[in-house]
Order: sequence, then structure tokens, then C-alpha cells
Amino acid sequence: MTALSIEQCTVAFGGLRAIDDVTLALPAQAITALIGPNGSGKSTFVNMVSGQIPPRSGRISLGGEAITGLRPDLIVQRGLARTYQVPKVPKELTIEEVISVPLLYAGSGRALPGGARNAGDLARYCGLRPAVTTRCGQLSVSDLRRLEIARALACRPSVLLLDEAMAGLSLEDTEQVIGLVREIHASGVTIVVIEHVMRIIARLCGHAVVLNQGRLLAEGPPQEVLRDAGVREAYLGKGFSL
Amino acid sequence: MSAGLLARIGLYAAIAAPLLRIAASDRPFLVQVAIGTAISAILALAWDILSRTGQVSLGHAAFFGIGGYGSALLTPVLGPVLGWTVGILLCGVVALLLGAVTLRLRRLYFTIATLSFSLSIHVVILVTPGLTGGSTGIMPPVIAGGSPPLQLLFITGCLVVAAVVSDVFLGGRFRPAFFMIRNNPDLAAASGVPVTRLKILAFVVSGMVAGLAGACYCGLYGYVIPDDVFTTNWNVLPLAVTILGGMDTTLGPVVGAVVLRLLEEVARHLVGGVGYQVVYGAVIILFIVGMPEGLVGFVRRLIRSRRRQAAEPGQASAKARLAL
Repeated sequence: MTALSIEQCTVAFGGLRAIDDVTLALPAQAITALIGPNGSGKSTFVNMVSGQIPPRSGRISLGGEAITGLRPDLIVQRGLARTYQVPKVPKELTIEEVISVPLLYAGSGRALPGGARNAGDLARYCGLRPAVTTRCGQLSVSDLRRLEIARALACRPSVLLLDEAMAGLSLEDTEQVIGLVREIHASGVTIVVIEHVMRIIARLCGHAVVLNQGRLLAEGPPQEVLRDAGVREAYLGKGFSL
Repeated sequence: MSAGLLARIGLYAAIAAPLLRIAASDRPFLVQVAIGTAISAILALAWDILSRTGQVSLGHAAFFGIGGYGSALLTPVLGPVLGWTVGILLCGVVALLLGAVTLRLRRLYFTIATLSFSLSIHVVILVTPGLTGGSTGIMPPVIAGGSPPLQLLFITGCLVVAAVVSDVFLGGRFRPAFFMIRNNPDLAAASGVPVTRLKILAFVVSGMVAGLAGACYCGLYGYVIPDDVFTTNWNVLPLAVTILGGMDTTLGPVVGAVVLRLLEEVARHLVGGVGYQVVYGAVIILFIVGMPEGLVGFVRRLIRSRRRQAAEPGQASAKARLAL
């Protein structure tokens, strides 16, 4: 089963093809890693799939339904949610209020993970320790990351794209978020992880996709993909190994 | 009845009570000042509702004027209730059409578009004397038979209506979504919020509340010329009032309207002539620089820090001393 399929998609900024004729099928119920060196098009890929930057050409479908060119909020309604790498939430809103926005507006009808019923449940599920009435301006980076995951989960997604959800976290926090991602996955959500740290990918993901200069470079089980000569070259240049 | 609802009813009572007290007093000057203040407060509430979505309007005089002219011209045809309703709905329709075009614009471009819109509406009135009386103006039916205390009573009612509308948009359904749209529209869209639709909704509601303020204003004396309503004064006033009183609240625009009028009267009394406007302007600037969150925000922060002080005495009092 394919959860998300990308067919011959291209995103161009002027002459630069940030995504260049990419065709991909992401397996349902899997945790897929999306990797690639800086500037390879990972973030553009997330922006394209979530509708923020529609592709110039190509087709995107979610669970068999075409979502190409749909507005971002409508794509969310269809069941695709994303997190932002640097979540900029309004400082004056509380944890509860931020999570309440998708709970109110993104009614895709699926159940929330972990039997959660409201914003408070989701905050706890994601390991947010501060009270739900805490304003976002007072949260630490690691709590903002958890809040961002909780916000995305409140969209009730079938496919969740995590854009470097663990970047800059302490080892302990990273372990907790890895545990959380596994739990979300176990609740039946298809997950795409954009990550730099290879150790995390090798532990977490059953499938990996490598982008380089906007093109699909390799695809397959993470161990094999990381052994791929082309992938090594893209990351390190010729003559080095990972 | 929930505590929140009780608190809100208390707030409306606190807003209405002094105005009703003035209406009952036998002081014509005070009644006129109260009428003017209440109308400013309604217009400022309208402006604030829109600003919560990040749209800064410099063209609310357009809705103020359309509401005033619309209700004035339609009342003789449709009667007062329907005339006012259609006049105010007209503001909503204009906001819808204007919003469909301009709300896709970013920040400053939107502001400039609203300003030019208000200027062009002024011109439209001037060049259509057959329909709108042109530069000679119109004679709107007066509210409450022209009795100022009764007019104040009616306008107080309108102010409470505006406050209720403002509170609806500060409720759980809209406040977080509006702030998210203002702060980060991409994040709002990624949370399922139909961003443009909500921005247009805020614009339509804001335009209609501003139209209500204009209808009240035009019904005061029985005579209105375009320069009374379609002026920069009404474009800038709601912004000054709201920033002074405190944005993103219902109380802020009301407090701002009272304080601004107080400042104006004090400056007029002390300085006199036209020079008072300079002093008045300077004091507004000082207020805005000194209290960027407005009076309501300032007082709220004061209360919060007092509470914290009570909770952890040593640390907070040191901080408070530093702040002072």
C-alpha cells in the first residue's frame, strides 16, 4: 500500500530546480527517512507535499486521492500534517490554545493517537511537562518541538512529516522524541522523518529516500542506501566513507 | 452560568454604567463628550477585531462613512430598522469585495490599499451629487428625536453590541486562529485554518461594526457633509485609540477612547487655541512609547508581577525595583 505518491514532480525557483522530476512512492504504515546534504531539496519537498509551494508539474496523491495544487489547509483536512523545523508560534498563546487550533479546524475525522481526547491529553502524550496554560513565549526549545509535534498530531493525520524534529535536542530529549515517534507510528500513522543524524535514521526507519540537488538519488532500506557509492559521494565527495 | 460569562456581563455593565449615569445627569457638555467617546470606542473595537488577524487598516473612515451614509439614505426609504440593517450590511459587502482583492496583500501593502480605498470613496461621494448629495452633504434622520441623553442611551447599547462582537472574536474559536494567522500564516494553514477566509470574515465584521459607529455619528445632528466622515481623522483615530488602550482586548479600545478624549479636553483646556493639538499629539506619542502594550496590557502586567511578587517575595521585588 502506498500512503503518499509523488509522480514526476518539479519545483523551480527561477532557473533553480529545487525538486527536479522526482517520482516516489512512500509505503503506508512505515517510518521513512528523507535524507540528503544541505540544499538537496528536503525542505522544499515538505513544502511541496504540504501544499505551501505547489509543484510546477507532476502529481501528488495521498492514499490514492490527488492533492496536487490543493490549498495547504485542505491538504491537512485530507490527512497530511507536517511539523516545522523552527516552530514560530504566537508567544501570547498558551500550549492549549495552539493545540486547539487544528483540533477545531482540521477535522479529518480520524482518532487522535494514544486515546487522547483534548489538547491537554495530546500535550501529555507528547511529553510536554509545563501546564497547558503556559504561554508559548516561556517554553524551552525542546518543549516547543514537542508542542509542534502535538500541534501536528491534533490535525489527526494519516501521514506525518517531521522536519528535523530532533535537531538541536539533548541526547536525553532525542531519545524521548524517538520513543514518541515510535509510539505515533504504532498508532497507525505513516511517518516521514527528515533527519541529518544517521544513527537516528538507522534505528528508527525501515525505508530511506535520498535526495541530492533536487533529484532522487537512492531509495531502499537505510543500511543499503547508506552503503550506496553515489550517496557517499553526495555527502562526502569521492574517496571518503561514512 | 460560567465564571467567564459572568465576568463578561460584568464588563459590559462596567462599560455601560458610567455612560448611563451621564445620560441621566443634566450636563449637556458631558453628554456630548460621552457620545463622541462611545462612537470612537465602537470604531476602535471594529479596528481591533481586524488587527487581530495582522491586518492594519488605515481606511476605516470608508466603512464609517458608508455605514453613516448608507443608513441615512436608506432610512427614509426602508424605515429606521431596515435602513440601518441594510446600511451596515452594505459595509459588509464592500469589505467582502475589497477583502477578496486586498487581503492577499502582505502587511504594509494592505494598509496602503485601505488608505487609498477610503480616499477614493470620498471622491465617489463628491462626484455623485444626485445619489449622495455630493459636497453639499445630506440630512440624515436624527436618532432619538435629537435628544442627546436618549441618543447616548442608544449609542451605549450599540457600544455593548460592539463589545459582544469583539468578545466573540476573542473566544476559543477565533482568538488562537487569528493570532496564528497574524503571527505565522503558514503555520495556521498547516493547522487546517482557512487563512484567507478567516481574514475576510474579520474584515467583513470589522467593516460592519465600523459602519455601526458611522451610522450613530451621522444620526446625531441631522446634517452631514463628506468631510465629516471620509477624513483621515477617522482613519487614524481607531488606531491611536486602540494602541493607547491596548490591542487584542475588548476593554482596551474603550479605555483608549476615554483616555484619548480626556487628554484632548485637558490639553484644550490648558493650552487652548489650535496649539493644544500639538501637545495632545506629543502626549499620545509618549504614551505609546512608554506603554507599547497599551494601558490595559500595562495594568495586566502590573497585576501579574504583583501576583508573582506575592508568590516569591525576594526575587520578584528585586526585579520590580530594577524595572522601576
